[in-house]
Order: sequence, then C-alpha cells, then structure tokens
Amino acid sequence: MSSDASSLKDAKSLHKTSVSDEVVIRFDGVTKTYNLYKNDRGRFLGIFNYKKKGSFLGSVDASKNLSFEIRKGEAVAFLGRNGAGKSTALKMVTGVTHPTSGEVSVSGRVSALLELTAGFDMQLTGRENIALRGQILGLSRAEIKELEPGVVDFAELGLYIDQPMRTYSSGMKARLGFAFAVAIDPDILVVDEALSVGDRTFQRKCIERIREIMMDENVTVLFVTHASATAKEFCSRGIVLDQGTKVFDGPIDDATAYYEANY
Amino acid sequence: MLGTLATILRDNWEWRRQIGRLAIFELVKKSRGAVLSWAWFLIKPGMYIFCFWFALDVGLRVGSGGEAGAPPYLLWLCAGLIPWFFMQDMLGAGIDVMHRYPYLVNKIKFPLSGISTIFASATMLVQLMLMAVLFALYFAYGMPLDPYLAQVPLLLALMFLFWDLVSILFSQLSAISKDVANLMHAMSTPFFWLSGVIFNVKSVPVDWIQAILYFNPITFFVTSFRGAFYDKTWFWEDPLMCGGFAAVFALTLVAAVLVYRQFNEEVADVL
Repeated sequence: MSSDASSLKDAKSLHKTSVSDEVVIRFDGVTKTYNLYKNDRGRFLGIFNYKKKGSFLGSVDASKNLSFEIRKGEAVAFLGRNGAGKSTALKMVTGVTHPTSGEVSVSGRVSALLELTAGFDMQLTGRENIALRGQILGLSRAEIKELEPGVVDFAELGLYIDQPMRTYSSGMKARLGFAFAVAIDPDILVVDEALSVGDRTFQRKCIERIREIMMDENVTVLFVTHASATAKEFCSRGIVLDQGTKVFDGPIDDATAYYEANY
Repeated sequence: MLGTLATILRDNWEWRRQIGRLAIFELVKKSRGAVLSWAWFLIKPGMYIFCFWFALDVGLRVGSGGEAGAPPYLLWLCAGLIPWFFMQDMLGAGIDVMHRYPYLVNKIKFPLSGISTIFASATMLVQLMLMAVLFALYFAYGMPLDPYLAQVPLLLALMFLFWDLVSILFSQLSAISKDVANLMHAMSTPFFWLSGVIFNVKSVPVDWIQAILYFNPITFFVTSFRGAFYDKTWFWEDPLMCGGFAAVFALTLVAAVLVYRQFNEEVADVL
C-alpha cells in the first residue's frame, strides 16, 4: 500500500503540479442497464411491462456496480476493450445518460470531446454554432464574444466560419468541435479518442492544447484510450474496466501494465 | 408527482435564457437562405386564409349574406384560423421535438421539458406576428377597442401553456415509439375538422355532439378567440366549454407529469 502511495506521488509530480482533496466526480455503486428489444414496437410494449416472448432480447449491463472518486485536478485514464463500458461511464459524467441505479455526482462545468461532430446544427454557420453552444452552456453574450476569436483561430476554418456547417467536410466539423470544447475553460474535460482529428499538424496542436489544459491544476481530465502510451503521457491514474466493472484502479504505470498483461 | 412537476417548472425557469435564444435560432434557421426570409412566416398562413375564404365565402357562400352591420366574415375566419396555425404546428412538429433536436437530448445536458418549450416559444413568436396582423385587420375594419380584447393575451398565454404540456407529453412517447408520432399526425386532420375552426360549434343541431366537440381543446381556443374578436363574449361565460377544457387540461397535466417522470431518463438511451 505504501509503495502504491509513493508511486502515485511520483506520477503526480511527473504530470501535474498538484491535486487537491476536493472530490469532483463520485460514482457510488453505479449500474447502467440497457434493455434491448427486437424492434421499436417491442420497446413500446415493454413500457407497459408487456414482455412478449421474442421481442424482449435481454438486458446488458454497460456499467456494473461502479464506484470511484476523482479529485479535482486529477488526470485519469479509462482503459478497457471495446464494450468495457468506458463511454457509458463518461456519458454519465457528462449528464446525458442517467444511471439505472446508484448515484453519480459531478460538480463543475463539463466539456466533452465525445463525438466531436455531434451537437452542431448543420443549418447554422460555424460562428452561429459557437454562439449556440455557448448559450446552451449558459455563457453570457460578452463571454461568447470573447471566446469566439480563439475558437475561429484554433479551428483554422478561414472564410468557412461564416458558411452553413452542412457545407463543411468532416474534418472541418471535428476541428471546430475540438476548438470549442477546449476553449470554454472547462472544470472537467472528458476526452474520448478525440485526438485523431485533422492532419498531423493539427493533431500536434490538439495534443499541445490538451497538455496545457491538463497542467492547469484546477482542471480534472478524464481520458479514454486503448493506447497505453498516450495514457501514460497524459495521465497520473488509470482505471481499467472490463464488462462494466472496475478491475483495476491505481497509478498509471501499474494500470497500463495490468491492462497490457490481461487484455 | 408534485416533485416531477416542480422539476419541470424549475428546469424551464433556470434554463429560460437558453430556451429563449434557442427559440430565436429556430426561427433564424427557418428563414435562412430565403430572399423573403421573415415574410414567409406570414405568406403561408396568408395563402391558407385566402383559400378558406375563397372556398367558404365566395364558393359555398356560407359567410356572406349575414345581417347588415355585422362584422365581416373574413374577420371571423381569421380569428379562428390564426390560433389554429399555432396549434397545427404544435400538433405537427411539436409532438415530436426530440427528433428535431437530437443533439440536445443525447449530446448535451439539457432538460428535456425545455426542448418542448423551445419549440412552443418559437411557434408562439410566429403566432404573435400573425396576431399583430389580425389586430391590424380588426382595426382596419373599424372595429372598436373594447375590454373583450383583453382576453387575447390571456388566451395566448393559456394556449402556450397547454400546448407546451401536450408537447412534453407526446414528444417523450414519440421518441420511444414512432407509432405515437404517426398517430398524432393522423389525428391532426380530425382535430381540425371536428373543432370549431371553420364552423360554429353552437350551430351543430345535436346537443351531445356539441358537448363532445367542446372537449376538443382546439374548439375552446378557437371559440374563445372568436369571442374576443368577433362575437364579443367572455370565454368563461360558457360553462360547458370551460369545463370541458379544464378537464382536458387537468388530464394532460397529469399525463405529462407521469410520462415525464417515467421516461425522461430513458429517452436519451433510445433516441
């Protein structure tokens, strides 16, 4: 236990200046169950607890009795194979999905790099989408004005920023999504495999920016990846998930070692 | 149950700024790219009114030939059709708003009841523009500025509230099942024809049919607006009509709250 604690300290000193004791994310016995039906009709009948044979296919626990605490300023990597429940856990952090049982508590503004191209209105221009997203987050007009040039600059869209987003290429949409998510000074940043945006120059820029955010001691970062190297580079702690359950939680080097040995 | 109602009210109040701005964006999006932009909000209803006026007044001659000095038929028609435009939109896109704003459901944290309010607000803004036109028409015909008109803002507020509730109720169900959306779209036509929009419910010769028609909330709104603009009556003067609407309103409120409590956490998973 003492060696664990000391290596955690080492990891901290390598990556972050400090971690406060304030808990910003707490999962308490969280279970998320998806009921799967053969089709929408079956689902609709399922509302009335009418489970006809053949239409109800079964339940899948995407998260199973998941409990952990993340303190302010930590950078945590979620490791696990496809379907291990990483994205479900992060979705519950962002608040778009609710747990079936258990409790999730999150304090602070969450910015998610989940699906970068999602959440934009294709009829509106890039600039209007920045305003729209900012407004949904509850920023004031002045704050949005202040934020806008940085986003436009970072996304490198040029004249296209005033064109409807339906005319954008997928790379352009992703760039704008990334630029917005990192520009709003989040308290909690959720990064889900988002670093493969754009060309190599842009990717470098993204990694730089994420590193910059991570170094800020007030920002908590949750990071989903399959690549141990990236996880080691950015994070100080690792949580390994398997079929919705937490199988390992500890310093990043141990976590990646465990992950690589077992999966 | 009261807790869920409080949640809905609190969410809508706390997110009121975002809801308001998103409603404006909804209109901006609709008028985007059209040369006549905002005029389209008036042109389509204008054509609709013209067609009905032509068919009913010129073709079937049901409107004209009233006693001399009576207010013009066109005013009667507009006072019913203009509120109907709001209700038509709420019955159409309004009962399936989750599919209209999927990104607010499962990409961004946003209260689901607020999504209905966004659409209802945007539709209400268009309604207010049309109401301005109706008032212009009203005064152009030399009608007086009287206390009956004070019902109009009250009725607009009531109409907003009721159809927002309807949207909260049905959009949750529509998100889960396409059948609900299709059913409601199919019901749009009977709701229109079996209400007082283009005929006076009071002139239906069978009493019990009249009574049933009063339970159609569209009848209540259309008849009340006509009372304010044309017949010069107060909407609470007709106990049967008010009672019918109150019952439907209470039922909708209870159903909306129950459905919201049951499904609002599930909708993001199935959309």
